Amino acid sequence: MLEKGKISPRQVVELIFITIIATAILIVPAVTADKAGHDAWLAAFIGSLFGIVTLYLAIKLGNKFPDKTIYQYMESILGKYPGKLASLAYVWFFLHIAAIVVREFGDFMTTAIMVLTPLSFFAISIIALSALAVIRGLEVIARMNEFIIILFISFFLLVITLTFNNWQLINLLPFLTDGITPVFAAAAVPASWHGQIIALAVILPFMTRPKRAFACGSTAVICSALFLTLGIAGTLAIFGPEMTASFRFPFNLLVRTINLGKILTRFEVIVVATWVSSVFIKTSVFYYCAAMGIGQIFNLREYRPAVLPLGIIIASLSILLFKDVVELVDFLTNSWPLYSISLFSLGLPLLLLIVAIVREKVFGHSFQEDKDGV
Amino acid sequence: MKNAFSILKKLLPKTKTKKQEQEKHPQTKEKQSNISSLSQRVDYIKEKLGYDTNDVVIRQFSSSNNKVHFAVLYIDGMADKQTINDNIIRPAQSDIISNFAHKLTPQNALSLLQEHITSGSEIAVVPDIDQAISLVLGGDTALLIGGENKILVYGTRSFAQRAVQEPETEAAVRGPREGFTETLRTNTSMLRRRISHPDLRLESFFVGRYTQTEVVIAYIHSIANEHLLQEVRRRIASIDTDSILDSSYIEEFIEDNPYSFFPQIEHTERADKAAAAALDGRVVIIVNNTPFVLIVPTNFFQFLQAAEDYYERPYIGTFLRLLRLFLLNIALMLPAVYVAVTTFHQEMLPTALLLSVAAAREGIPLPAVGEALIMETTFEILREAGTKLPKTVGQAISIVGGLVIGDAAIRAGIVSPAMVIVVATTAISTFAIPAFNASIALRLLRFPLIILGAIMGLYGVLWGLVFILIHLCSLQSFGVPYLSPLVHGSAGDMAESFVRPHWRFMLRRPSLLAVKNKQRQPGISPPEAAPAAERELTHENTEE
Repeated sequence: MLEKGKISPRQVVELIFITIIATAILIVPAVTADKAGHDAWLAAFIGSLFGIVTLYLAIKLGNKFPDKTIYQYMESILGKYPGKLASLAYVWFFLHIAAIVVREFGDFMTTAIMVLTPLSFFAISIIALSALAVIRGLEVIARMNEFIIILFISFFLLVITLTFNNWQLINLLPFLTDGITPVFAAAAVPASWHGQIIALAVILPFMTRPKRAFACGSTAVICSALFLTLGIAGTLAIFGPEMTASFRFPFNLLVRTINLGKILTRFEVIVVATWVSSVFIKTSVFYYCAAMGIGQIFNLREYRPAVLPLGIIIASLSILLFKDVVELVDFLTNSWPLYSISLFSLGLPLLLLIVAIVREKVFGHSFQEDKDGV
Repeated sequence: MKNAFSILKKLLPKTKTKKQEQEKHPQTKEKQSNISSLSQRVDYIKEKLGYDTNDVVIRQFSSSNNKVHFAVLYIDGMADKQTINDNIIRPAQSDIISNFAHKLTPQNALSLLQEHITSGSEIAVVPDIDQAISLVLGGDTALLIGGENKILVYGTRSFAQRAVQEPETEAAVRGPREGFTETLRTNTSMLRRRISHPDLRLESFFVGRYTQTEVVIAYIHSIANEHLLQEVRRRIASIDTDSILDSSYIEEFIEDNPYSFFPQIEHTERADKAAAAALDGRVVIIVNNTPFVLIVPTNFFQFLQAAEDYYERPYIGTFLRLLRLFLLNIALMLPAVYVAVTTFHQEMLPTALLLSVAAAREGIPLPAVGEALIMETTFEILREAGTKLPKTVGQAISIVGGLVIGDAAIRAGIVSPAMVIVVATTAISTFAIPAFNASIALRLLRFPLIILGAIMGLYGVLWGLVFILIHLCSLQSFGVPYLSPLVHGSAGDMAESFVRPHWRFMLRRPSLLAVKNKQRQPGISPPEAAPAAERELTHENTEE
């Protein structure tokens, strides 16, 4: 097996949570506020629950093929070459997410913090760190995350607490003025974020108690749904829907409103530091999934040789994919949900499950047998 | 297979030495196997230990009936001459002391001497002269008997040793003041006194081809994890080197990641700390000739804990732990953050503070990073010079360094007062970390962080910190993650790295050690008032 480490159920919860929330909290508020107005928080919550569907598919497939990653069982289900092709598609998907995450991070840093620094610097520096973590393995990423999640949660709650005196809950009203339709339309974006939970299909075999995977995954999804809802409710309550929608990174501005006794005025640097660490985790997770995919598709003895080339691909993709931050946000709002959900979070897993069930029930094929064969 | 071999080695340490000797002197060995005459054997010993070696004493004498000839071999200064004289030589020589001396013949000499004539609490019959020599080199005394190939070896070890003193590196206000010494037996006795339980086991190894240093692993049989023990045995048995002069040699040979800045094995001078570690399920490695014993496995937070935490009230223990954690961050990051903030992120500071920092930096020729590197280096120089000097002179260094250089540097306008404050705070924080070896790692890592902060601002500092964190997360000490229990631990363990619980509530041993017996106490005992009888007693006493 390419990965010797094992991660505990708690680490899985934390990993999924950070993987989803890290960038969602930055981008999703503006996008949902744009589409759903006052009800953006509801859209975020509903959209987040979509994660459970993807989770269910991933676990269902994972249970059929214990100790196998999605790359391995796709070969069993679809046959060798179609399976490898689908695996490559997933590798692309994970690379794409990683590149988008790096780009989001870079754009955030160049627009909000270090304006004069070129984008490529951020891309290369965070990819370098992630590559190191990926080489060290899943266990190390999970352990780091245990450390970072403490900071993330405590600073998130601190931000909510410290801004609470500025919350004007009247901004959340009126409730559902335009009916439920715009809410569902807006829910697509948070749904696509939670669809990223499909990465669990790669991580699942390395979990110590796979039976608890569904409980873990749903805990993570619900937690991230709550955090996202709370974050969006906070930005809405302070800025109102129109302003929230006009900002690029509303949550960062929310942090900037903190003004505690005139001393804690620039609190956002610490929050940004925490956020950068969680973005690093997110990048590492998808980077790892992609590297693992390359390792398993080409039957390598180690996935580590794939790490550096993939890092270069992610870094260049992150710079080349989008012209500027406007295009990035536009892509994430309009194209990304359809593309990611229909193909990778829902489409392919559903297809895999159906084919697997059909092959089992109709053709009487047993997947347990070809464990040794294929 | 390898494990089995190491256990075999452990059980038969003496066979190992014999084998080694055999390999070294194959020719002399052949010659020696035919020897039975006393003078030939004495010559062999002289040849082996050197004719001019002046601390080797070979005293030859005969029994009173002149039928048997003896040679006593010991090392002057290592063995107790009084004992040799009174218990070995005189009884064998004289009829007056022993009724059996006149019955001695070469045939019965061995058993008579062993059972009736000579006295000594430790006697071993050794068939091989090389083995006897290696025991003699440890301070024992060998009695060679003419016409008898077997050799009697008496335990007569006695040499000058340092008295048990208060540990200098880990002083505590409250708690036992006994520190380990250089003598292995004294050290094991200190452990044994603290844990008077049959399950305290001591296993010895002999490491170092020339030094033949005795290394003892101490553990509690019913607590320590068996895999851990096997791993410790395997690693110690696999050391193959010339010399072991301090436990740090062993540390470097058995640690998991030799290239890390961070120490992965804790050492202590305090007997109570070692005993506590053994009771947690850890393995204590005691090395002869050094007062520092090693404790494995180690996690990072152990370096932030002092024995005293457990002797003072739990609140102060908790407070100190949190304080040390804070100081750890200061020691690592403060100069780097200061450089980054003053260079790139001036807007982070409140205006009043920014103005005073800017005013202080007015007229300073160097950028903040230059200042920081100069001051940090100066501090390292002062510290290094101070530690190597006798205490009284060391204070002079601190006066010259701290007052004269610091003050003069500010007045001359080379560094800003703010930077001096930052560097001094950092220096003091470094010293507040109980483990010296852990604080060295932080001191070294400070320099790259300062440079990163100067190049990339706070993002650079963060980048460096994440880099360090990746490294720390990938470290392990004997299978236990280095950052445990903060990562990978149960909630209770996790809390214990920040909080010192009340002894009543410490029900379980650290779960990461996978100990055989997890329970410290059966349950939380409620705080009790004095029993009624006692209260009456005190009442009566006061009446009287």
